[in-house]
Amino acid sequence: MRNVKILGFATFIEGGRHKALWTIVAFSVLLTLGNIVFTTMFSWDLGKVAIEFGLSAISFSGLLLIFFLGLKIMADDLERGRIYMILSRPVSISEYMVGKFLGLALILLFATVILGISAAISMSFVLAEYPGFVPPGFSWQIYLMALTCQWLGLLVVLAICFFWFSFSSHSFVALIFSACSYLLGQNMETLRYVIEKNPQAGFLTGQEWLVRLVSWIFPNLSLFDKKTVAAYGLAFSWFEFSLIVVYGCSYIGLLLFFSVLLFKRKELAA
Amino acid sequence: MMISSLLCNDLCKSFGKKRTKKQVLKDLSFSVAKEEVFGFLGPNGAGKSTTIKIILGFLRPDSGSIEVSGIGAGLGEYRHLIGYLPELPFFYNHLTALETLMMSGKLSGMKQKEVKDSAAHLLERLTLSHATGQKVGGFSKGMKQRLGLANALIHDPPILILDEPMSGLDPLGRYQVKQLIRDLKAEGKTVFFSSHILSDIEELCDRIAIIHTGELLYSGSVVDFVAENQNLEDNFIDIIRQKDEACCVDA
Ligand SMILES: Nc1ncnc2c1ncn2[C@@H]1O[C@H](COP(=O)(O)OP(=O)(O)OP(=O)(O)O)[C@@H](O)[C@H]1O
Ligand SMILES: [Mg+2]
Repeated sequence: MRNVKILGFATFIEGGRHKALWTIVAFSVLLTLGNIVFTTMFSWDLGKVAIEFGLSAISFSGLLLIFFLGLKIMADDLERGRIYMILSRPVSISEYMVGKFLGLALILLFATVILGISAAISMSFVLAEYPGFVPPGFSWQIYLMALTCQWLGLLVVLAICFFWFSFSSHSFVALIFSACSYLLGQNMETLRYVIEKNPQAGFLTGQEWLVRLVSWIFPNLSLFDKKTVAAYGLAFSWFEFSLIVVYGCSYIGLLLFFSVLLFKRKELAA
Repeated sequence: MMISSLLCNDLCKSFGKKRTKKQVLKDLSFSVAKEEVFGFLGPNGAGKSTTIKIILGFLRPDSGSIEVSGIGAGLGEYRHLIGYLPELPFFYNHLTALETLMMSGKLSGMKQKEVKDSAAHLLERLTLSHATGQKVGGFSKGMKQRLGLANALIHDPPILILDEPMSGLDPLGRYQVKQLIRDLKAEGKTVFFSSHILSDIEELCDRIAIIHTGELLYSGSVVDFVAENQNLEDNFIDIIRQKDEACCVDA
């Protein structure tokens, strides 16, 4: 546990001082603040647009952080033999993995909080300016819940990256696999919907079981996407929220577990 | 018999699959006694770094066994007994020298205060004090090498495994490292290091092992290896030549 903390902290500092982090965060802060200008170009539903736009900007920059910062730290560890520094000491693979994961998770949390605040500022400005457009059921509580779900979704993507990193010997391959899994996970719901409802879904017609199987293996990332709920002020119960949290956490736990198993079989020839 | 600090028995290792398979180590055996300075020699690509990576468990041998202080690989934890300097030390670029050593020391089970004292002492010793609070990303090659050495020594381990400790260092740095190895020996540590600088090996080592294309050519004391009025360099080149010629005749 002590080792996990040490490694998590080191990863957090390493990432936190990285230029990439601040470039991405600064860019997204501008993007979320640009909300104020941007949304006024719409003449309808300003409030909804503002909320959806803010949350999208946050999730987009989270992905950028995972793919450009998180994966870079992982790849450098493995390919440049930085991991030798750590694993030449009495540290287990699981401690290494969990430490890295928590460090990066903390960076994502940090970024989500900063961007969440800047998005909230611009949103409250738009909502105050155009009170007529405030979505009827809007509440900051649901906004916060949606934000948490998004962060959790990012953590699932991060865990997927860890998995592919342990699986493949080249970080480029890991990157491709991770991106594919992300796209698949993102569109799982749509895919299932199309195949179940559309009799002309091509070769996939009638293959519901296949889709169901795939959707069980790959994470259903759209579950974590609560932008519309927040934007339309739809009902979002604590019960549903807890289910999502449980789903996310168990998925992450499972992925990390398999990552550790795969990693133990890996040869660390940098 | 005294238990040796480091024991390698019939190590075999190959890289690649079937068609591209390349045997890098062939039945390599040697042992390093307690409190001795042991030199590991061989031309480029001989398999020195591979052997060291196997000892630390980064690579798995195809066959053979390893023991460190009587603890068999896979049977118990021995990494806390070892201080390791990689061939190309690579650090977290955004941590400072001190933070790097703090992380390493703590991972080796030391307390905050202990690491701090030890780090200050080692940085001083390796003339890196001026760079204590500087980010490692801005270090020169030689500075990274020095930090790597400090990193290997931070937890005061009884066994040191150094992969080319002199590489990238200026004459002063090399002198300091030589002195360091002498001091470590005087403190009763076991030092196992690979190097290409034969004069250093001759000066420092009690015993040596010479490998070439993964095979052991010699293992024993330096004095025995260096015949009268010949130096280590001539002998080293002779033994490698002989081996290569023998291979050509075979083929
Ligand atoms: N990951 C790897 N995959 C394939 N072959 C490898 C790998 N690592 C090392 N080798 C091969 O193993 C042989 C020994 O390499 P090693 O790094 O152990 O040599 P060395 O004795 O340390 O050489 P040097 O003095 O140049 O550091 C080389 O022929 C190298 O090509
Ligand atoms: Mg080498």
